Amino acid sequence: MVIRARLARILVWSLALVPLAFFLVGLRASDFNDLPALLNGLGRLTGVLGLAFLLLSAALSARVPGFDQPFGGLTRLWNTHHLLGAAALLLLLAHPLLLAFSAQGYGPGLAFTILFPPLSDLATWAGWLALALMMVFLAPSFSFFGPPDYERWKRIHDLAPFAVILALTHTFLLSRTMPAHLDIVVWSGFALLAVSAVLWRFVFSRRVGRLPYMVVDVNRPANNVVELTLESKRKPLRYQAGNFIYLTPLDRDLAAGCGEEHPYTLSSSPREANLRVAIKDLGNASRAIQSIKSGARVTVEGPYGRFFKNPDGVPIPELWVSGGIGVTPFLARMRHLVQLDQGGDIRFIYCVQDEARALYLQELQALAESIPGFGLIPHYFYRQGPLSAAFLREHCGDVEQREVYICGPQPLNRLTQAHLRALGVARWNIHSEEFELL
Amino acid sequence: MKKFIFAGFIAFWASVGTVALLEVLTPTARVSDETSSAMAFSLGDVAAHATLDDCWMAIEGQVYDFTAYIAEHPTPPSVLAPWCGTDATEGMHGKGIGREHSPAAWAMLEGYRIGRLADD
Repeated sequence: MVIRARLARILVWSLALVPLAFFLVGLRASDFNDLPALLNGLGRLTGVLGLAFLLLSAALSARVPGFDQPFGGLTRLWNTHHLLGAAALLLLLAHPLLLAFSAQGYGPGLAFTILFPPLSDLATWAGWLALALMMVFLAPSFSFFGPPDYERWKRIHDLAPFAVILALTHTFLLSRTMPAHLDIVVWSGFALLAVSAVLWRFVFSRRVGRLPYMVVDVNRPANNVVELTLESKRKPLRYQAGNFIYLTPLDRDLAAGCGEEHPYTLSSSPREANLRVAIKDLGNASRAIQSIKSGARVTVEGPYGRFFKNPDGVPIPELWVSGGIGVTPFLARMRHLVQLDQGGDIRFIYCVQDEARALYLQELQALAESIPGFGLIPHYFYRQGPLSAAFLREHCGDVEQREVYICGPQPLNRLTQAHLRALGVARWNIHSEEFELL
Repeated sequence: MKKFIFAGFIAFWASVGTVALLEVLTPTARVSDETSSAMAFSLGDVAAHATLDDCWMAIEGQVYDFTAYIAEHPTPPSVLAPWCGTDATEGMHGKGIGREHSPAAWAMLEGYRIGRLADD
């Protein structure tokens, strides 16, 4: 899985570098004549690479169910999307500056003319607008002005397609970097990928991708957590234990989040007739959904993620570490193993502050007893302090022989990974599900 | 990574601001404007310089001597040859497949200007 994920990433980055190859073919000796010529070449190079990265980043944002699998799950795919976007922004910030500095070499005041030409120069102003939009829609992604609110981030990020269209307009009007006509072929290919992704996200996924469901039961495992049971109204979702979905409630009585999609992990076994989703009150929409009633309509899109290597069995011993609402993929897997009547050598270190905050503790204990070979080990922060390497070693002597799965808040995730590496667990045996997508 | 990108964002605006400030602070009189009013050439004068070794062009009412630039132009010299000694405004606006030359190219013209095209 690790090798396949790496191959998928290499493939994306290689594709992103295709325009670089054409750029190199189009280079001439005069591009190295003097400093202004060199800066001009670099300016064009940053433009070409920046646009390629931007378009591929757009293409990866489609969130087509199943497409994330070769990447090792949607969060990993988005990691690549995020890196491509970051590289695109940096390159495209450098692009106009390098061209302006280059022009200054041909005469005083020319840097200014390049950056701020007459308004009739549509190509340049399309480029400027694209870059300004990029700064706006990427500012929250990179926390320029503090951590963003999820819904606002999502709305602002929807400006991305407009930036892509303007960037393509700029390029089609100006491009002279690649050999004749080749640039039209290359950019059309990249644009097709990006436009298909945008069409899927904004048009088809809403009609084809979102499956209608109805809330048939509302369970409250804690005062800030709700577990919804969802019944399919058309085609049931096919998924694996540990997958997550995007859930859109269509209940207008909700105080917030009606019609907004949010990612939640499925807590049910794929063998169950209905879906179950555990939702913790972490933001406006997840707080509002705590009061949803039976009979409310929702849509479900997915499945996404690829958390467990072997969701239906335990061929290799496993260690699980969870904290907070991060318990859900493990709850789903335990329910699934019980449904399958499967045993397995699993140690589950369940990190919570104290007994009162241990979500699903009774059910987890009951499930653990009915899975042969399963060991549930609660870890109470208030009594035992932060999770230590010694604790991991004490309760899981053969930790380096196991596949390790971690799901919980970032600090717990980082701490556990550091302990595991110190205990000699290979990097590729550590699998973590990040909830924080930004 | 977030800090690095934020640094890039700030550096960008600092550079753009510097370029804009320098433009505001630079005295406005341009030597080239004096040149343009001083020297006027007819299309006949331009036509006398119609080879790659001695290449003048008229573009949007101004006259340029591109002899020294031929070797630096991105396309092969043969593409430029037919425009030497002529009014090449159309060529500037419609290079290759009908595309405008880049703002950089338009800005570079200034360095090669030798005068303006006579009115008649």
